[in-house]
Amino acid sequence: MSASDPSLPLAGVRVLEIGGGVAAAFATRFLTGYGADVVRSEGPEGALTSDEQAFLLLGKRRIAADARALRELALAADLVVEDGAPGALAARGLDPRALRREKSALVITSLTPFGQDGPHAGFAASNLVAHAAGGILSLTGVMTRPPLQNGGGQAWMLLGLNGFSASLCALFGALVHGEGDWLDISAQECAAGMLEYAGPRAAYDGTPAARLGNRVNAIWGIYACADGFAGICALQRQAPAFLQLLGDPELLAPRFLDPAQRVLADAELGARVERWFADKSKRELLELGEKHKVPVGAVLTPLELLANGSLAERAFFDAVETPSGVARIPGRPFLGLGWRGGELHAAAADTETVARDWLGSAP
Amino acid sequence: MKRLPLEGVRIADLSMMWAGPYATRLLAEMGAEVIKIESPRAWDNVRTLLPQPGAPEPWNTSYYFNDYNRDKKSLTLDLAQARGRALFLELVAVCDCVIENYRADVLDKLGIGWEALRAARPDVVLISMAGFGKTGADRNLVGFGPIIEQMAGMASTTGYGDDGVPYKTGISYGDPIGGLAAAGAVALALIQRRRTGRGAWIDLAQRETMAQMIGPAFAAASLRGEEPVQRGNRDARIAPQGVYPCAGEDQWLALSARGDAEWRALAQAIGASELAALSVDERRRRHDELDRRIEAWTRAQTPAAAAATLQGVGVAASRVLDANAIHDDPQLEARGYWVELPHPKMPAWKQPVSAWRLVEARPRPRRHAPLFGEHNREILCGLLGKPESELDELAAAGVIGDAPVNPGVG
Repeated sequence: MSASDPSLPLAGVRVLEIGGGVAAAFATRFLTGYGADVVRSEGPEGALTSDEQAFLLLGKRRIAADARALRELALAADLVVEDGAPGALAARGLDPRALRREKSALVITSLTPFGQDGPHAGFAASNLVAHAAGGILSLTGVMTRPPLQNGGGQAWMLLGLNGFSASLCALFGALVHGEGDWLDISAQECAAGMLEYAGPRAAYDGTPAARLGNRVNAIWGIYACADGFAGICALQRQAPAFLQLLGDPELLAPRFLDPAQRVLADAELGARVERWFADKSKRELLELGEKHKVPVGAVLTPLELLANGSLAERAFFDAVETPSGVARIPGRPFLGLGWRGGELHAAAADTETVARDWLGSAP
Repeated sequence: MKRLPLEGVRIADLSMMWAGPYATRLLAEMGAEVIKIESPRAWDNVRTLLPQPGAPEPWNTSYYFNDYNRDKKSLTLDLAQARGRALFLELVAVCDCVIENYRADVLDKLGIGWEALRAARPDVVLISMAGFGKTGADRNLVGFGPIIEQMAGMASTTGYGDDGVPYKTGISYGDPIGGLAAAGAVALALIQRRRTGRGAWIDLAQRETMAQMIGPAFAAASLRGEEPVQRGNRDARIAPQGVYPCAGEDQWLALSARGDAEWRALAQAIGASELAALSVDERRRRHDELDRRIEAWTRAQTPAAAAATLQGVGVAASRVLDANAIHDDPQLEARGYWVELPHPKMPAWKQPVSAWRLVEARPRPRRHAPLFGEHNREILCGLLGKPESELDELAAAGVIGDAPVNPGVG
């Protein structure tokens, strides 16, 4: 099983995942697909739901290992990814600095809510709490209600995605310069630096950011349509085409076309746009957007996406056998490099084979 | 001093707006030399997306543009002109990677598609990050981040839950997600090239990277036909969990009782010890009632004080940091997360360091975002060896420039 297709970009690369939460499991999920031999040391029971397992664990070998075995495996790995509390790895005899001293090419990626040091490093965090500390939560939803979290556990997913890309950069560095590093990545910091214009604006002139709900302005928002919800996000260069599309010559007057004047007519324009969306289906709206080169979208659900022709043409979804049937899940994140699907392994199923393959010994 | 992992990698960056520039900022932070290429006639709209009334050079003084484009160099080249394209291809010959986020058909129409790039540099890595990819029936849809999150299923999972309305994220979430994945794609393709000598053309559809962020929802949909459940701030397994109002204007506390022990501590802290023995099922059933009890406690204090009390007894809690408060957060402060980079045209403001903290190599922001065309001479004469006299000719022909033509509002 460990022998992977040599045409895959990460064939022969060994990755040890320790901790078992969503963040570490997502950080290594694509590494498996691109050919790395990812070995997962289980975290606490129930850390992942069955749906999370179906998406995050396929193709990974799963082991039970004590601290001593983990240490040996870490030193046999090219990359260790972990999402335990700060200091937890060291407490198990796997101090990242000590491991790095023993193997200079090793990359260790530590994923935590707040980072390895600082007054909040030891704070307890759920996905919601980490999301709140990163700033994105404060911007979503409406002012008359509480700030609203994203669906899908985004603090941990964002942390995992950062872990994926950062680890690859560090692996490339190790390949070229012979030196790995220890990556200390915090969920809070991953989010705090990507607050679009609201973050730098507040830093620059103190302007607070309101929660604008689904309506940033009349031509940037989500509206109800005939069969659900759809959206528009037009820049000034697309505004004339969109106003034209609305079909009322009155809307081509300067007070709607000119961005400075349009701000004052925003509520009126918004009401017109709302009416325009209301009687059209998502399909009609997408066709109009494409035809007129206007950024129109539709709020699609996972079920709709599973049936989407364009994603099917691009063979986006992978199938994975689970205890409750075949799940279809997002496959390769991008095209152009070799990718493989995989099977789900049972917990601890691969303890012996991994010991043999990585350490040349029985456990 | 330890080298950064991407030192020695040179990237020709044609990307604009946020997704691509976010990717190249990450790559620059990791040590790559990023050359941002804009045409004097078709420049990055982010420069003037936000109005700056009265600013003499708004294209150089946008905090929005400058925050996400630091550590890069600026070269202007009009790719609609043959000389601009020829210079671009000469540059590609000495670059490792080209990154672009044009709509799917644009690069080919400009005559600098994959084959042209490969002819200039056989082992080049090209990252194309159109919203919906280079192939497929949706490839010609126009999409920015807010459209991407709708079309990827993300918006359908977000909402208060009691009104059936899906919500957009308060940022253009599709952009940085696409950018993050693109940075990983560059490193992955470079690893492959290092091992095999082969270049690669990466077709990254921002919709597809965004859909990964709700991956488990596709398992639920395909296995059980489930549509997404909008839960507001609640959680399927944790109760209680929510965002609660505190003293002050628009001040909020987020908290989660992640198990019986955390619930007992929370119940004690809010003066509801008679409820401390409730099981998670009971807590879920009585969530509205528990919310009222928690809110009665949070309303009387600041979110920072409430969070400190709860963290003191091991309960997961945080102030909801808004765009202002986040710049004064004690944790980020202690970790030196914000730095003030000098800029020749603007007062300095707090910008984030790399979230990818290489503990040994310690990446730090090195230089403010470039002024428009600031590095034309360095790149054209220094790197490509053109005579100085050619710069004037190129400027006269509008191939290069030090200010955009017709800079209106993006």
